[in-house]
Order: sequence, then C-alpha cells, then structure tokens
Amino acid sequence: MPDWKQVVSQRMARLNLPVDSKHEVFAELAAHLAETYEAARARGLMHEVAVAFTLQEVRSWRVLAHDIARARSKENFMTNRIRTLWLPSVANLLAAMLLLMMMQRLGAKPHLIWVNAIDGKFALVFYFPWLIALPFLGAAGAYLSRCSQGDTFARLTAALSPALALIILICLIAPWSLLIDGLSIYRLVLIAGGLLTWGVLPACTLLIGALPFLRGSLPSKTFIGENNHA
Amino acid sequence: MTKRIRSKITRGSGELAILSLLAEQPLYGFEIARQIGERTNGALQFTLASLYPLLYEMEKRGWVDAHWQANQAGRDRRYYRLTTAGRRQLAPLREEWRSFFQALDSLAGVSHA
Repeated sequence: MPDWKQVVSQRMARLNLPVDSKHEVFAELAAHLAETYEAARARGLMHEVAVAFTLQEVRSWRVLAHDIARARSKENFMTNRIRTLWLPSVANLLAAMLLLMMMQRLGAKPHLIWVNAIDGKFALVFYFPWLIALPFLGAAGAYLSRCSQGDTFARLTAALSPALALIILICLIAPWSLLIDGLSIYRLVLIAGGLLTWGVLPACTLLIGALPFLRGSLPSKTFIGENNHA
Repeated sequence: MTKRIRSKITRGSGELAILSLLAEQPLYGFEIARQIGERTNGALQFTLASLYPLLYEMEKRGWVDAHWQANQAGRDRRYYRLTTAGRRQLAPLREEWRSFFQALDSLAGVSHA
C-alpha cells in the first residue's frame, strides 16, 4: 500500500497552516485515502487501479489546500463571531443607551412606583417610552445578526444585549453594595427591584421584538467549489 | 432512482447531511462519506475534497468537535461529534430545506418525497 501520508504531505506542501494543525490535516486525509484504497482493493480492484481510483478523490490538490487553509483559519472564525454576534450586540446596546439618554435629556419623566421594604422605602424607576421602543431595537438586533447568518443563539444575544449588559452591571455592583452597606432584606429587595426594572422587563420587551427573527435563516448562496463535488 | 447528483449541491445541503448523520452517532470522515453515499443510494457522494473543508468549517463554527481515537486495528481516526450548537442548527436547516423543496415542488412539480 502506498504511503498515503507522504502522498498528502508532498501534494499539499503549500498548505498554509501552523505546523501542528498541518500535520493533523495530513494524518486525517491520509487515513481517509488509506481507507478508500482498502475499500477499492476489497472490491477486487488491482493495486494500480485502486491507487488511481483513490487519487480521484481530489481533483486539484492546490484548490484543496486553499479550501482547507481557509476553513481552518482562526481569522475567519473571529470575523464570523464578530459579524454575527458582537457587532449586532454592540450596535443594539449603544442604540438602546443613546435612546435612553436622549429621552432623559428631552425631559422624559420616569414613572416611579414606591415599594415598602421592611427597613425602608425605595422607588422602582420605569421609563415607559424607552420600554415601548425596545421591541424595535430587539427586532433590529436579531435582524442584523440573521443577515450575517447568525444562529439562534447569536440572534437572541444580539437582541437582548441591552438588557444583558444591565443585568451583568447590576450583578457586578450588587455584591460590592452588600459588602459595603451590609446584608439586609432592604438591600436584597432593592437589588431585586433593580434587576426587574432594568433587566427582566427590558429583556421581555426586547424579546417580543426579536421573536419573528429568531426562527428561519437566510438561504446560503455558496455552492461547493470547483473540486467540491458532492 | 439512483441517478447521481454530482454537482450543484449547495453547502447547506452538505451541512444538513453531515449534521443529520452526526446527530445519530459520532463518525469519522471516511465513514461519514460512506454512509451518505449508501443511505442516499449514491445520489449524494462526498469526495475527500468536498468533505473535509466542510467538516473543518463546521468545526470552526462550533457545530461539531473532533477527537482522535484508535480502532481495534490500531488505526487512528478523527471522530466528529455534534455539539449543542450543531444540534441547535439542525432544526432550522431542516426547515429551510423543507421550504425549499416545497417551493420547488409548487413551481416545477418536483417532489422530494
């Protein structure tokens, strides 16, 4: 049987990958060729015919090396993650925060609901015009991610990013607040109230807007390339 | 009918075929190609050149992960396994292709059943 690893490494010498990754690819492709050859031999083909049959698996080694280098490139992965997840999420977060700031500057008054906790009284703050606008931002975030072929997780994250950022912020601040001011039922109710008004409620309204864009995907327009005949 | 469809297979159809197979069990590359050929009566056939760029791309996206494992004869094989992200991807892909075939059916009377 031919040394398939040598065959692959010779024909794909120009494969542009780190050494470890390159050797792994060579080993995997060589194993595939070895099994193809053995299957051909098991069907009764002569050695030369089986080798020729096996080599038909690859029409152009140069194109294959290019396709594999592109497929395994970390850069593409980052670009893909940035395009589908981070960019829509950050854009949505910025839009939501800017909208809230604009509303405050234009004099929108918050709606206050006073809550009696055991140790004191505090207000839940609601900016209703902002909450009403959030479904549109949720829809925009999910839509942007879907346009970039983002999966459901990426779309949902992009849609909910303003609420997620606020929840994370509250969760980071809360332990420090408890540490400094001491643990009390009042503090815990205050934190829960903050999570409700700035986290859960915005998340629900964002989700309402995002729902139509979470399912389904834009059809891929890419066809398998020149040597990629399935 | 076992007419081979050698070309014009979209990347999406290849992804769907691989994800569907891996949803059943982890498989290595040669076995993935063999099972796709066998289970479609040869209508779909992956060559090495079409299979591995797609598998690596799916691995990069986090839909599958891979690990080396030796068989009883001591031959190392790289097994691919569906990840949670890959499993999440499967349902919308199936739905997309169902819609595609329905659209084609209504246009050209081509049924996929």
